[in-house]
Amino acid sequence: MVNILLRYTNLIIITLFILSLLSFSLAYLFPGNPIEVLTGLKLEELQKLQNQSANIAYKPEGSVLSQYGHYMSELFSGNWGVSFNSGQPLYEEIMLSLPASIELSAYALTLSLLVGLPLGFLAALRHHRATDYTLLSISVVGYSIPVFWLALILILVFSLQFGWLPLSGRLSLIFEVPSNTGFVLLDILLADIEDKPSVFLDAFRHLILPTLSIAIVTTTLILRITRRSVIETLNSEFIQAAYARGLTTRQVLMRHGIRNALVPILPLLAMQFPTLLTNAMIVETIFSWPGIGNWLIQAIYQQDYSAIRAGMLAVSVFVVIFTMSIDMFLRLTDPKRKKIERGTI
Amino acid sequence: MARFNLYQEEQHPSPLQYTWLEFQKNHIAMGGLVCLMLFILITIFCPLLAPFEPNLQKTGNILVPPSWDPNGGISHIFGTDGLGRDILSRVLYGCRMTFGISILLVVFALLIGVGLGATAGMSKGFRSSFVNHTLDSIQAIPTILIAIIIIAILGTGLVNSMWAIALALIPQFVHQTRDFVRRELSKEYVMAARLDGASKIQLFVRSILPNMGETLVMQATLALSIAILDISALGFLNLGAQTPSSELGALLSQGIEVVYIAPWNIALPGGALFLMVVSVNIVGDGLRSALRNRLLH
Amino acid sequence: MIKRHHTPYSIYKVLIFSFSMALCACDALITSKTDPNGIVYCSEGSPASFNPQLDTFGTTVDASSHQLYDRLLDFDQTSGEIVPALATSWIISPDGKTYTFQLRKKVAFHKIATFTPSRYFNADDVLFSFNRWRLPTHPYHKVSSGRYPYTDSLNLNKLIKSIKRLNGYRVEITLQKRESSFLANLATDFAIILSAEYGDTLITRNQQQLIDTLPVGTGPYKLSEFRQDQYIRYTQHPDYWRKNKLTDKLIFDITPSSSLRLAKLITGECDAIALPAHSELEVVRQQDNLILDEKPGLNIGFWAFNTAKPPFNNPEVRRALSMAIDRNALLETIYFDSAIAAKNIVPPTSWAFQADVKKVNFNPISAKKILQDNGITEGFTMNVWAMPVKRTYNPNAIKMAELIKGYLREVGINVNIVTHKWSTFRERLTQGLHDSVLIGWSADNGDPDNFFRPLLSCAAIKSGTNRAMWCSKEFDELINEALDYSDIQERAYFYGKANELLAEQLPLLPIAHASRYQAYRKELDGLVINPYGGIRFGGVTKN
Repeated sequence: MVNILLRYTNLIIITLFILSLLSFSLAYLFPGNPIEVLTGLKLEELQKLQNQSANIAYKPEGSVLSQYGHYMSELFSGNWGVSFNSGQPLYEEIMLSLPASIELSAYALTLSLLVGLPLGFLAALRHHRATDYTLLSISVVGYSIPVFWLALILILVFSLQFGWLPLSGRLSLIFEVPSNTGFVLLDILLADIEDKPSVFLDAFRHLILPTLSIAIVTTTLILRITRRSVIETLNSEFIQAAYARGLTTRQVLMRHGIRNALVPILPLLAMQFPTLLTNAMIVETIFSWPGIGNWLIQAIYQQDYSAIRAGMLAVSVFVVIFTMSIDMFLRLTDPKRKKIERGTI
Repeated sequence: MARFNLYQEEQHPSPLQYTWLEFQKNHIAMGGLVCLMLFILITIFCPLLAPFEPNLQKTGNILVPPSWDPNGGISHIFGTDGLGRDILSRVLYGCRMTFGISILLVVFALLIGVGLGATAGMSKGFRSSFVNHTLDSIQAIPTILIAIIIIAILGTGLVNSMWAIALALIPQFVHQTRDFVRRELSKEYVMAARLDGASKIQLFVRSILPNMGETLVMQATLALSIAILDISALGFLNLGAQTPSSELGALLSQGIEVVYIAPWNIALPGGALFLMVVSVNIVGDGLRSALRNRLLH
Repeated sequence: MIKRHHTPYSIYKVLIFSFSMALCACDALITSKTDPNGIVYCSEGSPASFNPQLDTFGTTVDASSHQLYDRLLDFDQTSGEIVPALATSWIISPDGKTYTFQLRKKVAFHKIATFTPSRYFNADDVLFSFNRWRLPTHPYHKVSSGRYPYTDSLNLNKLIKSIKRLNGYRVEITLQKRESSFLANLATDFAIILSAEYGDTLITRNQQQLIDTLPVGTGPYKLSEFRQDQYIRYTQHPDYWRKNKLTDKLIFDITPSSSLRLAKLITGECDAIALPAHSELEVVRQQDNLILDEKPGLNIGFWAFNTAKPPFNNPEVRRALSMAIDRNALLETIYFDSAIAAKNIVPPTSWAFQADVKKVNFNPISAKKILQDNGITEGFTMNVWAMPVKRTYNPNAIKMAELIKGYLREVGINVNIVTHKWSTFRERLTQGLHDSVLIGWSADNGDPDNFFRPLLSCAAIKSGTNRAMWCSKEFDELINEALDYSDIQERAYFYGKANELLAEQLPLLPIAHASRYQAYRKELDGLVINPYGGIRFGGVTKN
């Protein structure tokens, strides 16, 4: 147990170290002056700042190693530099947009689990029957739709044709909700504003279409993973044994099936996380969702290299910590497991 | 060649034939295959099929609706876009570009991935675990993020976005190959070859690789659908193919501009893209269940 | 294989239940409410600053001029006549050189978090604001970019001899010479009044640059929050001097894509949008709850050649290139026929317009011949810069560049289309790095001088509005002489000469005068197309 914990902590630290090196070296790989990319300030401005106060350590002549050390210490103190484009501190911008993405992905994932898991079970229980084929065909269609096309079609139908739902942002700009947690629904509940229900409803209305666009693709993936897993579980010997003992299908499912089918699903779901995030980032740009994907893509358009450097580091650190924690959790709960199994969907 | 069968001996199909027979039973999969063939034909013979040059601008024919519309004409079956370019031709060339590039990317990733995977599978210890962890990290990072970094370094463009997608596709081939090699290494036929004194390379090329074919093809179809979706997504975000390229994703993003007055500008490229991915996925699915059935029986 | 006895009906029940729940919820979800207390305007980009003195581009003007500030004079929204604003009345001396303005009393400046005004608007503020762009010795002259493109391009800093404070509410401006367009210039979006007291406060805090980013003015709204490329929030100025009805909030939702702006207008996420795409006007007309206003535009979209660079310094080459382009096709494709073909740089509605100038006819064959005569052979490569943003005068420069590329290929010229981020684009244009550029100009007042001088005078090269880099003594003399007369007939004579010269020399090829459109939702009341300059939300209400 401790051994596993130590190994994973070790692994996470090494990976994070590599990522920080990568982000530091990006400054040299990106066009423009490395110092400018690292700080987000133009050289002249830096000189000016240094002349104003002696506190600012700007030593372009220092060795690369000392620069890296300095960069890391600044990173940890929350000074990530400023954006080329807006001049705002990157730490603050990222802390505003990353939660927005996490929120959107989380809702989409929840929705997909709520729909995908039961449907997956249903398909597996009706294996080789009409229900199964129908669900399977729908799922092939579902995960073949390019997510950006789906989002466009949803907008065309629900926003423009029927005018039911808004198509951009996550809250009407009329409402001002201070950002405490970065998660809009939570912020509304915490905020001290008038007419909370209608603000909440507005935020909810904004959530529907983006969540749906991501969730449709993710749901079909979950459906397929679940279906496969349940079929395999149901074909295994202990299930046959349970039937042999005279249990009904319901009893078999409740006592043995569900649990054993769900366990192998978890790591496969974790594998889908990058896909989910990629889809979320694309959908964000279509719905002008103020998340990290939208933010990074705008940064690319505007060649805001310091923002890309910091944003890339933030997202990859988040992803690495998230996936490795899940991995570790699974290993802790099931020590026999060697590593995440890479199954097919 | 016709052969006279003296004995009532049952002829056993080879594993490959067996898979094909299983595959044929699945009508949907066959439909998908036909559709896929169509796309392959389009990719190869596109210049013969397309009625116009994809970038030919006819200022007199702007936003002509498709031919089934009352205002549409017969010369532009799918209508024209905001610059008077024929949509059918652009979609055909777009299919060629998106599909062709995706196949190239998959082949590239497959070659590199199988090579790396074989190395990792045959070796043990640090080298194997290093490859492992590096790949895990790459696979955990969303493709779009890799693309953003590469594009930030090299600039936007189709070729640069291709590097990003290739990089994202490689890990799964490596894993697949490595796991397969690990499994097979302990089997008797490999052991026999090994006892015959085969070197590692010979072991892999002569003994293991021939058995991997189907799994690789299956993995390749999966990778192909991912590659198509990724390349068009990057095109759509203006990070990959740039205007006036007729890549399908780029076509979609050009169509958004006129979406209200000419919705066919996003319907047709999107539909083509969707059909392409569906047919690839259906074939992949069919292949997978055919393989599974073969192994089960 | 396994036998299954039961079907898990519970799954169906759950599905049906959740579906019916969803249906109930839908009703509440799809009935959107609009909040009468705030107007959301979908604008096309982020302003460069909140001070229009520093920038002539529409985005900056829209976000600042009429929302945050007032001017001494205004143009009447319907007739375009000059009417009193912060100046209640004015007297012009008989020689036409001295202007005396009587200022309005009890006009309050904005109270913002970091500054509380202690006094009303007075003559000091007028001196402070005008001297900022006029005098290099002014403490704020070099703050921000230190460039004042509008006033510099019109040479207003040279024209004004002195500005004197007669008393707290009386200001006297003396000019070097008579200039008939002076009053009109004071009514433009750029002649705004800043707070001198705020300026002094910022100096004591050593935060001078905040004057343009955390602005204080007398306008109907004050700035409360700005997030680059996302939104601008304004709140009502409670002590606004005009007795207008104001909404509590005004929000600029920054949406660069025009189709997205229209989509938001349809869904009601915006109450009004900037620059509806010409291709989409029909869509707006068809929607019952949207209103589309139209006015002929005082603008010009053109293709300017960099006359400082060979071979574009040769008028013959410029003419040949112009002849290779079918401008009618451009009009149809880019403007969707919501513009009129340009003959001069001034639109036909202007009295300086002249119909009978030398025409440029579409003739690729003779164009090719002229090019070859001037040593430009097959395979010559030039670049066409296309501005990355949409403007009324050119709603899609990149598309236009693609069309031009097609036409020039016919005469054997290869075209590279160049476009950059907007700020970079303008910077590099001012440096003259282009061969040719697709851009345009929107007039800030009705005076024709506002077209000729900023676009093609020698002084405008330095101030960065002369995209052709064209400097002609003859032309400068003509437009200077025109200003010496106040009689329109006499002035028109000189502008006619100038028009002829331009048609002869073709430093730029005029393409179109686009109509101006304003699209908004029916709930908005009081929104009018401002004849000159930016949008104005003071007095606009929502039902």
